[in-house]
Amino acid sequence: MNAALGVEALKLYRAPAARVATAVLVLVLPAVSAAMVAVARSDSDSPLAAKARPMLIGTGWDAYLGMLAEIVSVAMLLAVGIVLSWVVGREFAEGTVGALLALPTSPRQVLRAKLVVTLVWALGCGLVAAVVAIPGGLAIGLGAPDAGALRATVRLLVVAVLMTLLALPLAWVATVLRGYLSGISTLLGIVVITQIVTAAGAGGWFPYAAPSLWAGMGGADAAAAITPVQLLLAVPVGLVGAWAAAHRWQTAELV
Amino acid sequence: MNPTPVVRLRATGVARAFGTEQALAGVDLDLHAGEVHALVGLNGAGKTTLMRLALGMLRPDTGTVRVDVGNGPVDPVGAPSATWRHVGHLIETPFTYPELTVRETVRSAARLRGLDRAAADAATSQVLAELALDHWAERRARTLSLGNRQRVGLACAVVHDPQVLVLDEPSNALDPAGVVRVRRRLADAAHRGAAVLVSSHHLDEMARVAHRITVLHRGRVLGALDPAGADLERQFFDMVYEEEDAVADAPTARETASTSPRSAA
Repeated sequence: MNAALGVEALKLYRAPAARVATAVLVLVLPAVSAAMVAVARSDSDSPLAAKARPMLIGTGWDAYLGMLAEIVSVAMLLAVGIVLSWVVGREFAEGTVGALLALPTSPRQVLRAKLVVTLVWALGCGLVAAVVAIPGGLAIGLGAPDAGALRATVRLLVVAVLMTLLALPLAWVATVLRGYLSGISTLLGIVVITQIVTAAGAGGWFPYAAPSLWAGMGGADAAAAITPVQLLLAVPVGLVGAWAAAHRWQTAELV
Repeated sequence: MNPTPVVRLRATGVARAFGTEQALAGVDLDLHAGEVHALVGLNGAGKTTLMRLALGMLRPDTGTVRVDVGNGPVDPVGAPSATWRHVGHLIETPFTYPELTVRETVRSAARLRGLDRAAADAATSQVLAELALDHWAERRARTLSLGNRQRVGLACAVVHDPQVLVLDEPSNALDPAGVVRVRRRLADAAHRGAAVLVSSHHLDEMARVAHRITVLHRGRVLGALDPAGADLERQFFDMVYEEEDAVADAPTARETASTSPRSAA
């Protein structure tokens, strides 16, 4: 397993897709959040300011980091979903999956290594985004972080973890459909269905919608209505997806 | 008297179909330690399928495959790590990733094949030198020619000095110098006791390196060619055309049904 972890970590480290996704998650998202909060707090009557104000829940650091959590709830699923689909599906698209079989490192270990390095990368991005958000908040004049900042940071990190877990079933999709584009297509389908389910008012019990609603995407009342059980539905979804992918790698004819 | 050969790989009555396509139809094959055993055949003969079955990547519909690296024969499907530690393979796409350098690629293959970091580093340097890949060692794989990518794939297959080596057309994209290096590497491996199963379309090349040549056609073994024999190409096509004629002459079930009453009359 250690050998597979090293190899997969090197491949991910060198991957252009992962580098772009990292830049988006740790730099672009905090910058966009800070800009939107700055606009919302201004006296501007621009369309952007009018749209940004309803997204703010609370004030100060709580509102700013809440905004970041809302954006992360969508961006993390997209970024991790795309990267994980590529990490797994490329072996089929590029024809290298056969070279990963008949080795002392079992196919299951190779797949687990892919999942672990992607998880570690994603959670690392979440942590770094939270750290990068601090100078962003200072730059827009929020002052020193307060108790609300800590609470909001925990919420941000929980959202990042949940959305990362929710991307794991895409490893199974990329395996069964033998390529990363099918994983990415499925991801787009999930995003569309999430919008529809949320608009229909059933988002609380839809695992892919609950973290976004809790982060404030549907407003303060919808956020308060989300229960821990609804949030934790992401855990079995992620674990079942990961198990199914690992099982498929170990037992199916992959070539 | 020759000593009893050590069987490293044995396929017995192996058949495998993909949908309605019968890729293999009852193949028997032995691979011995210290020999290069060539599989020759036209495209679609079943060479790659047989190799994938030998490596447990596919399961036979009927028949058995057993691999023995010294711990007793085992089914390659679900074989333990201890078996795969002594097996190397290059089947179609080589173990190359465009973002990794040649050295990183071969070292990664060595690690996945069970070598620790120090052993992987040493073995990587050695095999890069043996296959004349030093010049490209620090280059990304995406900059390599097809032939050099294939050579990197071969380096990955042999970096851990396996006892069983399965290579599917390892020299089809190589220049003449590359072909000679691969030939020398296969001969060295066999000389050190490895069992090498190699497929190719190139009869001349196989005649130079192989101890035994098995002809595969339409998923069946037609026979063997003597690597020291004269005009192997002619012998090969004689075998293939004889089989084709036999297939063409054999009455289909429909023909048999429609002609039988007339015959009876």
